[in-house]
Amino acid sequence: MASSSSTLRAPALRGPAALRRPKAFRGVGRSILLTLPIALWSLLMFMAAFQRAGRDERIGSAVVIVFMTALFFLMMRTGETYRWRRIFFVALGFLFPFGFIASLIAERGTMSIPISRMVSGDTPFCFMVTPTIILPAAFARTIIFPGSILPTASNPHSIAIMIGIWFAMTLVLGKAWCSYACFFGGIEEGFAAFAKRPKLHRFVARYSHILRLVPWAILVFVVLVSAAIFEPVYCMWLCPFKAVTEFPAVRNVETAIQMGVFVALFVGLVVVLPYLTKKRTQCGFFCPFGAFQSIFNKINLFEIRFDRTKCVDCTLCQTSCPTVALSKESIAEGKTLLNCMKCGACVDACKKDAAVWHLKGTPVAVKPERARLLFLYGAWALATMFGGSILAGSVSTMIHWLPGM
Amino acid sequence: MMVQPQGVRGHSRQLGLFLAARLAGYIVFATAAWLVGSSIQRAWTGRAGIGQAGIGQSWLMGWIEVLLAAALVVYAVGWPHRRCAAAKEAQGLVRIGEGPGPLRSGALALGFLTGINLCPPFLVAGVRAAQLEHLPAALLFFVCFFVGTAVWFLPFLSMGFVQRTPAVVTVARMVAVLLACWYGISGFSILIERTFYG
Amino acid sequence: MRARILSILAYTGAGLTLMIAVCVPFVLMGVFSNVVAHAGLHIDATYSGGTIARTIQRNGYRIVVYQPVQPRLLERVEPFVQIVFEPADSLPARVSDEVDLDGDGRPDVRVSFSVPADASAKMRGDVTALNGGDVSLADVADESFSRMVVRAGNQIVVRVPMNKVVAGR
Repeated sequence: MASSSSTLRAPALRGPAALRRPKAFRGVGRSILLTLPIALWSLLMFMAAFQRAGRDERIGSAVVIVFMTALFFLMMRTGETYRWRRIFFVALGFLFPFGFIASLIAERGTMSIPISRMVSGDTPFCFMVTPTIILPAAFARTIIFPGSILPTASNPHSIAIMIGIWFAMTLVLGKAWCSYACFFGGIEEGFAAFAKRPKLHRFVARYSHILRLVPWAILVFVVLVSAAIFEPVYCMWLCPFKAVTEFPAVRNVETAIQMGVFVALFVGLVVVLPYLTKKRTQCGFFCPFGAFQSIFNKINLFEIRFDRTKCVDCTLCQTSCPTVALSKESIAEGKTLLNCMKCGACVDACKKDAAVWHLKGTPVAVKPERARLLFLYGAWALATMFGGSILAGSVSTMIHWLPGM
Repeated sequence: MMVQPQGVRGHSRQLGLFLAARLAGYIVFATAAWLVGSSIQRAWTGRAGIGQAGIGQSWLMGWIEVLLAAALVVYAVGWPHRRCAAAKEAQGLVRIGEGPGPLRSGALALGFLTGINLCPPFLVAGVRAAQLEHLPAALLFFVCFFVGTAVWFLPFLSMGFVQRTPAVVTVARMVAVLLACWYGISGFSILIERTFYG
Repeated sequence: MRARILSILAYTGAGLTLMIAVCVPFVLMGVFSNVVAHAGLHIDATYSGGTIARTIQRNGYRIVVYQPVQPRLLERVEPFVQIVFEPADSLPARVSDEVDLDGDGRPDVRVSFSVPADASAKMRGDVTALNGGDVSLADVADESFSRMVVRAGNQIVVRVPMNKVVAGR
């Protein structure tokens, strides 16, 4: 791997945003035409908000409709995916905790979950728990999460609703969930974007073959231990995002240690390491849900492939990948690794147009833009529906809190 | 044995023998665990009592978990695969299984030895068996434990390729380290709690 | 020929994926949610308290006694039994009740607590075991899932740990 570190060094100094195509990819009229379905979809998704909700919600929804439609237009106009997706994703990552914490403070005055809310089933279900509840649910018909199966007045984010949303979206997105739907990944993508140059690129290049296996190990660990002790181990001990959402109230030494672990993991994996490496370190080197989601890449029709006749092995794609989902061996085979989240960074970074969007079953590099469009329509529609509604909620909360509004 | 080209029928026969011998090992271990457990419980109850926490939270459990953690770390590092006597013995048994005639003896020996193998969940189950009041309850518990664990051997009829994938082995070792951390922290917590709070 | 068939299948699949995407908010989310809702799953008794054993009617309020919750093989929680006093807003300012947990006609524990006027105020209470089956608790609030006296909505939830030796038999 020593040779790979030397080849990675030079391109590592430039992020995908610096490698954008210089000229317009498509005319304005044609871009507008291609954006029209997404504009209509956005209006459809937020129609209910206009009919029922208050002024703040209407403004929030209008902002999101314009935002999501404009970003899709820019994707069509420039031919770039990663750059514009990242703007949406970072906005989602930073605004979700804001809106969520605001609602917690308004409702209960604190970010912590008291034990009384756990026993009454009022903990909102988070999709990150999904892999850990499967074995107990399958073998003991028991959900090891302090929520409610059906929605209630005090907990609309019930287990059935959240699993229904996750599974339906996963059928369309596969592992692309991690770059179009996950409301946590945007936080680290934002911190990774702050840095101009990666400072730990040699370390990442040298140990990427090991680091990318860690999420699988954590997945197996949390699934096994959760099934053994009937507790959601990832939620209780390892989730970095508890630090910016909600966490079990500190009431003894154990819960105090849990809180310390959440904060340390958040600062380390979501703030410091993304800044130092320009990678999504939590997603690429830690997240068990991401590993679990990778399995669905096998049944998803869309992927990124490499046209070996054009590839010059410059490793720009490998360097630009935020989750080290490319290796020299995989590029040589013309494929990504299983953990590719279809963010489009490698396609945008490739100067030889060797990295292409691809529909499984069709010839590689033949009509790649058609494959990209087919993927993006589905992905962006669901991003608008799911992430867009979260954004709208957070924007309306901000408007509500703004003085003089 | 399972990676030998025998076909599904041959593999099924081997697996059947292996599991039967494993069940025998389980029954032997359950009896031993219950005898040891009941004698310890009698001794402790006779002196100062084991308290409300019971044997599950006792010094014994704490030490077992710490030892398990150490064993898992050693396993993850890969030391026993190369050096320990058990590994040599296992290699010998695998060689027994390789021949055309003594396949049965190999499957039976491996089944029995893995049946009394002190793997982490097995030891914890042993402690649970030791806690039970009656021997038939301990035996029933271990028969159920056997059924639960035997299910997981069925996919091995066609999963010889797993061990030949380096990434799977690396992930398995990482999992062993993580489990070692879990057992280690849990074991030390029990020992600290017992030391300071009795 | 094979490549052509594969291409046709691939584009058909891509079209189906797009159709699924369009159906997600209107149909599929609800379908999958219903599947989960009707899968016969239940929340782990450590959180939900388990199933109701009997209800004892008192003057103006009722006491709901749950079945004892036994931990599984490696579960860390102690065996406990949940008792719920409801509705909380009909309870007297001070409650001190003897409760029969196992239905044998004799009281097993005495539960005592004050009901604060402020529903969000932290509660504390005492549980006195009247036989060897349960563990007494003094000035308990929300120590653990098996030891608590808390207000959850319009209920007062009390969890009493059971003596392991008795619980194991």
